Amino acid sequence: MDWLFHMTELLRGTHLVEFSLWVTDWPFALWLQSHFYAIPIFQTIHILAIAVLFSSVLLLNLRVLGVNGTDQGLDAAYRRYRPWMWSALFMLIFSGVILLISEPVRNMVNSVFWIKMSLLLLAVACSLWFQRSLRNHMGNWDISPSGHASLRIGAVFLTILWCLVIAGGRWIAYAPN
Amino acid sequence: MITGSLWAALENSSLGSTIASNEWMFPTIETVHVISIVTVIGVIAVMDLRLLGLTSGSKSIAAMERDTLPLTWGAFALAVVTGTLLFISKAQSYTVNPYFIWKLLFMALAGVNMLVFHRRFSKGIELWGAPGGAIPLNAKFSATLSLLLWMVIPFCGRIVGFTLGTYYAG
Repeated sequence: MDWLFHMTELLRGTHLVEFSLWVTDWPFALWLQSHFYAIPIFQTIHILAIAVLFSSVLLLNLRVLGVNGTDQGLDAAYRRYRPWMWSALFMLIFSGVILLISEPVRNMVNSVFWIKMSLLLLAVACSLWFQRSLRNHMGNWDISPSGHASLRIGAVFLTILWCLVIAGGRWIAYAPN
Repeated sequence: MITGSLWAALENSSLGSTIASNEWMFPTIETVHVISIVTVIGVIAVMDLRLLGLTSGSKSIAAMERDTLPLTWGAFALAVVTGTLLFISKAQSYTVNPYFIWKLLFMALAGVNMLVFHRRFSKGIELWGAPGGAIPLNAKFSATLSLLLWMVIPFCGRIVGFTLGTYYAG
């Protein structure tokens, strides 16, 4: 894990250090730091939003794979879970920004944090692409239930990708520095 | 104090000390724990929202149960296994932590709530659980309680991480 350490070293040479130190002195940052329940409450909101996003992704993807929800068409699962996934992502970003402000240096001068952000961007881009492909195949989906191999692979890949984003979040606290 | 020595023995067991001292083991188990609890909480919420009549109205509750129950139990089993491993590595700090005790109590309450629903409130679910059926109030009460409990449980769990040194000076 030496490369993680080196990456953090590189981050130490950037303006991120001054920026995160500046954020540390924001009144809101000081307020978050000085109220014991503030950070755990926003972390809980963050976790609950992950729960909504991840279970929506999982249930939609299991429908794509034909494991779950076969009493209805794919369009029903798509309509049910897609809006919840994107609303949860909005809550995640909102609570995530607050958590970022609560501990700016620990997060921004941290290799694992930036790896997580890259994985998150990738997951969002892949989700948009994946959902657009689903829409295009919705009409003939159940006519050839064994087809759509690339979308099935996409469903598995996306689920794993979101797991990696979650793992990244947990490992921010254990990044080598 | 017999239990006190039991927790000490658990923590000092080779399994407990390995998890505690190994650089990557604790965070890895924690990661699997997080992925399993978000699955448990989210999938239970999908069922609760259907029971409240707020979402998935075109789908019968029986079909929703078939979709969510295996996933919930699978993820819950994984959460219990990983949670137990994390517990063993810090048994003495956890057992004296009030937030940890609250977390266990709320989880027990969530279990009782589910049991009461399945034994009592789910009577006639084939009828009122059909799309468009009128959901009885006691079922809606169960669903609301379940949603609330599964919001408080991760909060207690999160606080434990902040108060490990507060209640036990090991």
